[in-house]
Amino acid sequence: MQIEIDEISKQFGTTAALHPVSLSLPSGALVALLGPSGSGKTTLLRILGGLEFPTSGRVMFDGQDATGLSVQDRRAGFVFQSYALFRHMTVFDNIAYGLNARPRASRPTKAEIARRVSKLLELIQLPDIGARYPSQLSGGQRQRVALARALAIEPRMLLLDEPFGALDAKVRKELRQGLRDIHDTTGLTTVFVTHDQEEAMELADLVVVMSMGRIEQIGKPQDIRARPATPFVREFITA
Amino acid sequence: MGKPLIHRSPMPGLGLSMGITLTMLSLVVLLPIGALLLKGASYGLAGIWETVNRDRVWAALFLSFHLSLLAALFNLVFGLLLAWVLVRYRFPGRRILDAAVDLPFALPTAVAGISLTALYAPNGFFGQIAAEIGWKIAYTQWGIFIALVFVGLPFVTRTVQPVVEEIEREVEEASASLGASRLHTIRHVILPMLSPAALTGFALALARAVGEYGSVIFIAGNIPLVTEIAPLLIIIQLEEFNYDAAAAIGIAMLLISFAMLLAINLIQVWSRRRIGYV
Amino acid sequence: MSDASLAKPARFRPATEEAPVARWAMIAAAFLGLGILVFAPLIAVFVEALARGVAASLASLATRDAQEAIKLTLTIAAISVPLNAIFGVAAAWFITKFDFRGKAFLITLIDLPFSVSPVVAGLCIVLMFGANSAIGGWLVAQGYPIVFAMPGIILATMFVTFPFVARELIPVMIEQGRAEEEAALTLGASGWRTFWTVTIPNIRWALLYGVLLCNARAMGEFGAVAVVSGKIRGQTATMPTTIEMLYQEYLSVAAFSLAAVLALLALVTLLLKTALEIRHADQLAATHRH
Repeated sequence: MQIEIDEISKQFGTTAALHPVSLSLPSGALVALLGPSGSGKTTLLRILGGLEFPTSGRVMFDGQDATGLSVQDRRAGFVFQSYALFRHMTVFDNIAYGLNARPRASRPTKAEIARRVSKLLELIQLPDIGARYPSQLSGGQRQRVALARALAIEPRMLLLDEPFGALDAKVRKELRQGLRDIHDTTGLTTVFVTHDQEEAMELADLVVVMSMGRIEQIGKPQDIRARPATPFVREFITA
Repeated sequence: MGKPLIHRSPMPGLGLSMGITLTMLSLVVLLPIGALLLKGASYGLAGIWETVNRDRVWAALFLSFHLSLLAALFNLVFGLLLAWVLVRYRFPGRRILDAAVDLPFALPTAVAGISLTALYAPNGFFGQIAAEIGWKIAYTQWGIFIALVFVGLPFVTRTVQPVVEEIEREVEEASASLGASRLHTIRHVILPMLSPAALTGFALALARAVGEYGSVIFIAGNIPLVTEIAPLLIIIQLEEFNYDAAAAIGIAMLLISFAMLLAINLIQVWSRRRIGYV
Repeated sequence: MSDASLAKPARFRPATEEAPVARWAMIAAAFLGLGILVFAPLIAVFVEALARGVAASLASLATRDAQEAIKLTLTIAAISVPLNAIFGVAAAWFITKFDFRGKAFLITLIDLPFSVSPVVAGLCIVLMFGANSAIGGWLVAQGYPIVFAMPGIILATMFVTFPFVARELIPVMIEQGRAEEEAALTLGASGWRTFWTVTIPNIRWALLYGVLLCNARAMGEFGAVAVVSGKIRGQTATMPTTIEMLYQEYLSVAAFSLAAVLALLALVTLLLKTALEIRHADQLAATHRH
């Protein structure tokens, strides 16, 4: 799905988290929102996911205005920084949650839900953990379960907030490839937030560098590396 | 083999603190409870059964237990609501409400008892209103129910409140982003997270209500077989110097208390094992 | 441009909030419920106490029986609360500074009085120390009766308030760990010095909190005391048992005046407790933090 961000701004009280920003994300792209903390990248992601409402501006999905679409109706597969798995549910129930939450008329049958969950468990390469609880998983496994749970609702896009932030360096490298693979398999427009420039450059097709609530530069990784548009970008990507 | 009973430690005061703890615990709590159990053992289970197995005793035990259960259920629902309102919403008077939740802990039971009676007696403030529709509260089982709700009020709220505070926003957001309505989120995500704490509070409120005496006797009416609670029966037996009967009923109540204490502990163990927190 | 304003809802509701209607209904239910269940009885105490005016109320408090009851209640609290505070500190020290088998069981035993009916507690003490028992009979022969006398009331009061201080201190001391005490010891401080200069300053607000709750319950205990005291006027009748006697004799103003004194005490307790929770939340047990 093609995503259009049109002059979006966000005020929290008197502080501006986002100055009006505009951005066009092509369908099927893997996009990194890169910046230091406080740059507004997470706020922008949460606005896309329907978790915050912008102070001004519009969000368009495939040319349709989606600004007022509630978070429930938005079908954005959102992966939280802490993963936010439901601790009292098994992995299976976590992944099935979005399907079970649908109104009866559009809810798949039990057998269909089971089939979809086991397919997703295969996709994240953890076919045998359905009966476990989140507290029994490693950090990397939790992240993949969170991803599977977001994919279960057949989302129109995939939004990830610091997806590798809580992991150690070795697991991080592995899971980067995992995200790339899942993106390539599903073909979903994918936006992830990161403060790690190496991660953004290595993984994304398109990198959006942000600072202090503004977009500093948009471009392919190699272009940004070759031609940093502002002193901030130059400093940030060489840091 | 095996672990030592007490690990060696550089900390001072082992002898003194252990001595004070065990001596006072024995003198104040364990020996008196032991005396009751010993008394029970002296005339055996059959003897206890003979005393307890009378209509008046069964009626009192049943009354105490089933009204306590109803009161604890009311407090479970109202306590969850209060915990949610006090933690999640900001409104004028919130601090006062929060402090008021503890009043049943702080107000002596005899004071609560006569005050509730004054309010719900047929000529009292609420009693008059109820009488208009032919509803008698004081000196009926309704009166006992209200007194038991009063004494059990803080338990669920106070056990649930810290858990509500710890719910991560992201978990609720995750539920919403997966398409769940707010009601679905509350039912399937929030309430299950609160339920171990709520159950603990429920059991505590129940245990408190079953043994409650002071706030109930004034409003109860104390009619044998109808509004006579189990603790009152013990007092009546004692006033007639019928120590054996008092002890038998006392043991029955003690066993109920132990069973509930066990239940509380099992709830906590189960919850810790399954989801890693209480 | 106009599409945007059409699509925008009247007011965006974050995913973690209930609809305003639900929110206000719940707040109203909280006010209504606590109003009927808690505020009304509290107000009723004072209304009934002042039903014949302030003078009548004060006069009833000046009677000899009322004065003796107040004195007895204060005396009992003054003895049983410090004893329980000493127990609470000792038990918390023993449990949190040492590792031993059966710790969880010991904690359960300390909590036991909370789940025993006060009337059963009183009964236990009567069976243990009453004139009919071996120990009690001997003590009476020596001229030291326990039951129907002050020591019995103190024991009963201590039984029902036994866990308060320990239960408040244990979680706080677990959280604080042993490092500070260990540091003091390596610096050459004696055990007592470590306790007074390191431990006590760290736990004083939690200790005060526990003592406050213990005291409120000690002064108000009714069921257990009613069983062991014999309710002899001017001798073993505490404030709560005197309230009962006055109430049974239809001396409503006198009963409620004495009740109002205890209700004021309860209010002061709540006030101090709330103040502690606001100012020293970091030093109190985690369950009170809100």
